[in-house]
Amino acid sequence: MSLDKTIKGLKTSFSKELSKSKTSKDLENFRIKYLGRNGQLASLFEEFNKLPVSEKPRFGKELNILKNQLTEQYQNVLGNKSENSASSDVDFSLPGYNLPDGNIHPLEQITSEIKSIFQSIGFSVAYGPEIDDDYHNFEALNVPKHHPARDMQDTFFINPNAVLRTHTSNVQIHLMENQDPPLRYICCGRVFRNEAVSYKSFCLFNQVEGLVINESSSFAEMKGTLEYFVQEMFGKDTKMRFRPSYFPFTEPSAEVDIWNSKLNQWMEILGCGMVNPNVLYNVGYDNEKYQGFAFGMGVERIAMIKYGIKDIRLFYQNDKRFLEQF
Amino acid sequence: MKVSLHWLRRFIDFDLTATELAEKLTMRGFESEVASDFDSLENLVVGDVLKAEKHPDADKLKLCSVSDGSETFSVVCGAPNVDAGQKIVFAKVGAVLPGDFKIGKAKIRGVESFGMICSERELGISEEHDGIMVLNESNKAGTPIKEVLGPLFDAIDIEVTPDKAFALSHRGIAREVATIVGSKLKTPINSVKLNPKSKDVVSIELDKKGGCTRYIAGTMKGVKVGPSPKWLAEYLKSVGQKSINNLVDISNFMLLEIGHPTHVFDLKKLTKPAIKVSWAKKGEKFDALDEETYELSTDHMVITDTKNTVALAGIIGGMDSSVTDSTTEVLIESAYFDPVVIRKGSKKLNLLSEASRRFERGTDPNAALEAFNMIVQLMQEVAGGTLESVITDECSMSLDNNSVDLSFEKLLKYAGQEIPSKDVESILKGLHIDAEKTKTGWNCSIPTFRTDLEVETDLIEEVFRCYGYDNIKSSFNYSSIMQYANDKESTISSLKHHLSSLGFHQSYNNSLEDIEELKLFGKDAVSIMNPLSERMNTLRTNLHSGLLKNLDFNYRNGSANTLIYEYGTIFEGKTDKLEDIAQKSSLSCLVHGDVFSKNVHFDSIPASFAFLKGVASNIFEDKRLGIKVKYSEQSHHYCDPYFSIIDGKKQVIGGLGVIKDSLLKQLGIAHKHEVVVLDIDPEIFTNYGSYSTKVEDIITFPNLQRDLNFKMDSSIQVGDVVKTMKSINQSILQNVIPVDIYQSKKDTSSKDVLFSLNFQSSKKTLEDNDVNSIIAEIINIVSKKFNAKLRDN
Repeated sequence: MSLDKTIKGLKTSFSKELSKSKTSKDLENFRIKYLGRNGQLASLFEEFNKLPVSEKPRFGKELNILKNQLTEQYQNVLGNKSENSASSDVDFSLPGYNLPDGNIHPLEQITSEIKSIFQSIGFSVAYGPEIDDDYHNFEALNVPKHHPARDMQDTFFINPNAVLRTHTSNVQIHLMENQDPPLRYICCGRVFRNEAVSYKSFCLFNQVEGLVINESSSFAEMKGTLEYFVQEMFGKDTKMRFRPSYFPFTEPSAEVDIWNSKLNQWMEILGCGMVNPNVLYNVGYDNEKYQGFAFGMGVERIAMIKYGIKDIRLFYQNDKRFLEQF
Repeated sequence: MKVSLHWLRRFIDFDLTATELAEKLTMRGFESEVASDFDSLENLVVGDVLKAEKHPDADKLKLCSVSDGSETFSVVCGAPNVDAGQKIVFAKVGAVLPGDFKIGKAKIRGVESFGMICSERELGISEEHDGIMVLNESNKAGTPIKEVLGPLFDAIDIEVTPDKAFALSHRGIAREVATIVGSKLKTPINSVKLNPKSKDVVSIELDKKGGCTRYIAGTMKGVKVGPSPKWLAEYLKSVGQKSINNLVDISNFMLLEIGHPTHVFDLKKLTKPAIKVSWAKKGEKFDALDEETYELSTDHMVITDTKNTVALAGIIGGMDSSVTDSTTEVLIESAYFDPVVIRKGSKKLNLLSEASRRFERGTDPNAALEAFNMIVQLMQEVAGGTLESVITDECSMSLDNNSVDLSFEKLLKYAGQEIPSKDVESILKGLHIDAEKTKTGWNCSIPTFRTDLEVETDLIEEVFRCYGYDNIKSSFNYSSIMQYANDKESTISSLKHHLSSLGFHQSYNNSLEDIEELKLFGKDAVSIMNPLSERMNTLRTNLHSGLLKNLDFNYRNGSANTLIYEYGTIFEGKTDKLEDIAQKSSLSCLVHGDVFSKNVHFDSIPASFAFLKGVASNIFEDKRLGIKVKYSEQSHHYCDPYFSIIDGKKQVIGGLGVIKDSLLKQLGIAHKHEVVVLDIDPEIFTNYGSYSTKVEDIITFPNLQRDLNFKMDSSIQVGDVVKTMKSINQSILQNVIPVDIYQSKKDTSSKDVLFSLNFQSSKKTLEDNDVNSIIAEIINIVSKKFNAKLRDN
């Protein structure tokens, strides 16, 4: 039948021409040609009217389907076009909104990182006073009043008996005074040293210190714990060493260095040791039964190593150009 | 402490360079750095100065011809003492001197110079820099310097920790080196029997209260003061000390040799050859050897000749009794002083000497006699005197070894692993500790020079240290631990992240500030007794002052838009008593300028009061907190206006205000807009539990929105109108939002405010009828209460 053929041909040319119609003017011309009152579809219906009654039902159905198909196809293209044309006025090359760019201070970021490493192995976090009495900052930690070890930490005094804490170890004393072993804690916060301000030292810094007390924690466990920390913090392949040292509150004591392959030298990152039995005695623990280890590190120092910062004062200047880099 | 390898070799033979020795000692707990290691210095040779003529273009410079034995170089030198015929230390081009000082070809005042003639300071030998170092003429030009100076001047700097008093001498360090290299210690000065010429006795009286528990004295006559022999001067020079004269040098030498301080008095200047050790009178004036006059207190122990104070015990000698060039008779003191007495005395005067440094750490009581004998022997050898009096030794202390037990069990428990007994025994032996094995461990006899070894853990430390920390294997068994790791500040941490994601920078400011500036903020500030400087003499009472400094700094550096906050401790109260000082965690935000600057997309959005109020509701109206927030205007020391933020329990949980311009002016803070601050009490976040957290059901029925436009007096606060509207119906009127305020330019006495009312019921779909009566009531009440007129639109 010729009508069948015509329908097929119309379908093909319709699709072909529709895809070529780009502008709205093209589309309008296209619509008039195919879907208009005197368009090709309309002329098909005219031919249909001429058909014998017996063939009308079949072609009637087919023509209606065709009409719907073509109209839908056209509407789809028209719809897309109209969406596009609305946005075609927009200059996509313009910058996006300049959203305010907040940040977390680098020292906070490093502190959080340190905290979460230790929290992952069951250390809780404790806080304590920045001004404390001489007893909690020194004497309870096995640093008697007239001991040369006092010179290791230049101290700010508030009154003859109160100091700005020189380390967060005072928190450890408060903790032990208030609870019995076992303990597994880190303490963090600001500590103060009466030292001249320069690129490498500031009158205060942030510290994270750890304390583990139970019946068995050994030097070997301390090494394992701190090796885990260093690997998590500085990478699995970090070369490190434990070097004997002295702190009044621990014995044996050690300092931990990591190897800086860029500078080709060891860099000290933390101090540690087995808690001195005198400290345990001072807080009323049975120092024959209980033992454990403690460690401490400066957050600034670690941040400086990690980020390659050469002047410690930058942390406290809060220059936006510095902060925005974190 | 500078330690010379040359000097160490008096006590022990070893084959280590300065660099190797520093490394080994560091791993033993003696943090060491190389002071000079000539072994590592290349391109340094003995040079022969052939000619030294005036530089053609500079009066103070000389143009020298220096031969290295095979070639001659032109070298410009500024030292006044350089002269033809000298043998000198010649650093050729390519040499690297201590301190990473690289020698290259240079043009000095138009003349090329190929290398440098070195001073002692440039070589790290001493501080001497007035002229170049002149070598012995017998040295051959071209000889590498390490062969000439290395044997004498290789040295390391050791940071001796306060516990290791025994290591403050060459013998002490040599003992440690002996345990490293495993060779035997030598005795450089063999003790000989001293025979006094007379039967004179120096009478010694010690104070009964203690402080000095051993005092040895004796006199010598026929002493001749003069220059020191070469060997003595060389040892002192090897640690950077100048030779003064034979008497002074001997005393200094003994101190560095075995670590026991001694003192030499001019006998003729004493009232009589008698010593009385007692306490200073309050306010007593003392003229010391360092040409200073000190005012003493009753805490100071003094040495008197029974009439006059002749020395400040263990710290410094007196001027009047000191040896001079004309001294011929001396009284020698070698004593033991109590560490605490010396420490207190030296601290009080802020006077630290080589002697006090050793006494305050604890000296070996047996070394007192040893030092005395050695010094007499050296005097006889070097200054020609003879011992006159009998040696008097007043001693009221034990000179015996202490005994400390070290148990197998404790050692194992501490190490976490077995350390073989034979290793422990050989370590103890190396440390001169006699260890007798018992059933449970070792009974150790501690030599008196190891004043630091008093209890078992002291011995454990020694064993670990010498066994090597690296040899103790680490263990890690946290995988089996299940413990809740608590951090009460984790909620604060979320808050910080919240603020940062809103565009805030987090600040860390100094806790120490200037009292004069802090005064402007009111409140009792806590000051520091011994501040670093006036700028940092007081603890901060608030976080605003630091944040204002940040605003000022960034503004002056080209960044006017500031959104910052700080979380930290603030301090307030009276300084005298710790209990009266409040230390509080605090959080403050400060904004200035724009949140969004004007751009192609829209106009600027200022970082205004309204912005920060939005931040406040964003934080406080966190559903988990379940707080109903109210703002209540308060008068404030430096903000106007200032609103306290109050929760449902009528507790102040924060504040919001605009900093007064007068404060900004007084502090000189650079700014161009209003500066707004928001304070947040962080406690509400650490105490989530005290606020009820309840989830509300989600309403699924559609909402209905109505707009009302009122004309009202300009002075009416829109917030009050909103509050009134909300109070009329609390079941289905969900929210009232002022969406537009129109103020006509012609009539400034009134304004039009458009309110958007949102209705929703949790029970059914609302019809117009359901809200019409409420709307009518709102119109009625608002019209009456605020004298407002509904405008039809």
